[in-house]
Amino acid sequence: MPWLLLAPSITLLLLLIAFPLFFALYNSFYFWNLQMSPQPMAFIGFGNYEQALGSSTFMLALRNTLLLSIGGTAIQFALGLAIAVLLTQTLRGVTLVRVLLIMPTTIAPIVVGFLFRYMYDANGGLLPWVLQVLFIPLPAEGLLGSSTTALMSIMFADVWQWTPFFAIVLYAGLLSVPDALVEAARVDGASRWTILTRIKLPVIKRTVLIILMLRFMQLFNTFDLVLILTRGGPGASSRTLSYSLYQQGLIDFNIGVASAMTWIIVLILNVILAIYIYIAFRDWEW
Amino acid sequence: MHRRSPVATILLYLALALTMVFFLGPILWFLALAIRPPETAFARPPVFVFEPTLRAIKHTFVDPGANAQHLTNSLIVAFGAVLLNLPLSIPAGYALSRYRLRAKKYIMLWYLGLLMAPPVAFLIPYFILITRLGLSGTYISMVLVLQTLTVPFSVWLLKSFIDDVPVELEEAARVDGAPWHTVMRRITLPLAMPGLIVTSMFAFVFAWNNAAFPLVLSSGSTTTLPIGTLGYFATSGVTWNFIASAAVAAMIPPMLVFLTLDRFVVRGLTLGAVKG
Repeated sequence: MPWLLLAPSITLLLLLIAFPLFFALYNSFYFWNLQMSPQPMAFIGFGNYEQALGSSTFMLALRNTLLLSIGGTAIQFALGLAIAVLLTQTLRGVTLVRVLLIMPTTIAPIVVGFLFRYMYDANGGLLPWVLQVLFIPLPAEGLLGSSTTALMSIMFADVWQWTPFFAIVLYAGLLSVPDALVEAARVDGASRWTILTRIKLPVIKRTVLIILMLRFMQLFNTFDLVLILTRGGPGASSRTLSYSLYQQGLIDFNIGVASAMTWIIVLILNVILAIYIYIAFRDWEW
Repeated sequence: MHRRSPVATILLYLALALTMVFFLGPILWFLALAIRPPETAFARPPVFVFEPTLRAIKHTFVDPGANAQHLTNSLIVAFGAVLLNLPLSIPAGYALSRYRLRAKKYIMLWYLGLLMAPPVAFLIPYFILITRLGLSGTYISMVLVLQTLTVPFSVWLLKSFIDDVPVELEEAARVDGAPWHTVMRRITLPLAMPGLIVTSMFAFVFAWNNAAFPLVLSSGSTTTLPIGTLGYFATSGVTWNFIASAAVAAMIPPMLVFLTLDRFVVRGLTLGAVKG
């Protein structure tokens, strides 16, 4: 009986993911440029994999992606935790702040891209002006036009959008920690920092792990922001794996190489996911 | 509680104000862009006070309404995705909540894994498949592939809501001889109705905010709001007022959903894993 209930969704999802995966697997062994032919053109074994892994841009994209996902997740967690603690203080207006704070998270990432492209604009954007007022030096090509700041600018937009997510979820978590536990620690003379890191966070470990995982994976797949803000440039300085894949497949129409990259990315993601599942879901009751 | 020093209190309020400015300021700045005179859009120093004008909003949605059709398309695609999502995810959420399955853990993790999949990896195969099926540029093609996002999310969230409905009520009905589908229809689902509504609203936001699929699968007449807005970047002399006007329209529905569901936001964002 339960299988009958699960069947419709599992069948549709299997069809929807099995097709792309097999499609990619098959074509990853063929030379195929969609502009030259509507069909795969020649069997070339692992040639596409060699080309994908051998190119310096792929390694750069992998480095950028890891930098973005690890850096972004860490900053958002730290900043979100600080705001969550701030929200637990008895202050007037704190409820209103909590309700409105989540707004950036609700916006479509592509729209956040529009917003920050306007904010970053080298000729009259608000952020360059703010930085100038604060005497912070800017690259002459603009924040998005310089290879030293392009990736950081993408990360900054993501931090803006998703820090509230961490803040709101961690705030709810901190509130759920039993008062008695905190009181006991305080009587024992524990500092606020110790109470936060040694008692509260371990108690809400499950929450912490799941949001870290969700965010890391979303950041790993970052595409919309790159598409709108930098198109991976200048050069390949802000290219992520997802954007590389898009460029290879839907701009250059190299379906063969893109298919090989798809499988490389899927394998990397599965390894990361497996590690996460092992850590985060070990003592999970289903 | 121990008392705070006045200095600490002032610092805390300062931090609170800074948080608000940092996270809401950019949104207000973009709202302002939609209603400010075009010549002030990139003024240096920035112009904070101006006479609002509805020209851009009129141009994008009324006359000639360049983006009105995109707005309709976004609504059709997002509502379509939610409608198809329900009959798929309700039975699955129910089964995972109510039945003992040895594979339950793996099924749940499989759904979760789908949610982590890189959408871009699916774009090329979907693009080619949909074209071969003769479905390119149709609403149904977008509604269909959006299920890879809405269904896994909804199954997780619905399971958590159905878990909250006391199983004793179902058992009582079953003792009275009601078959399982009657129990599900007459008892579980009505009691889980708030959860169904919350899940549908979040699924709507998921579908509404997705840009990768319409980017590749839509055509000029079926394209969604953010993708339709991309056209402005292609024209020379970027018309930022129009972009902001269309983008603000794209922001409003998800914001309203989150404000309405305030109590459930934490739960929704964590797939039901954190009750909030």
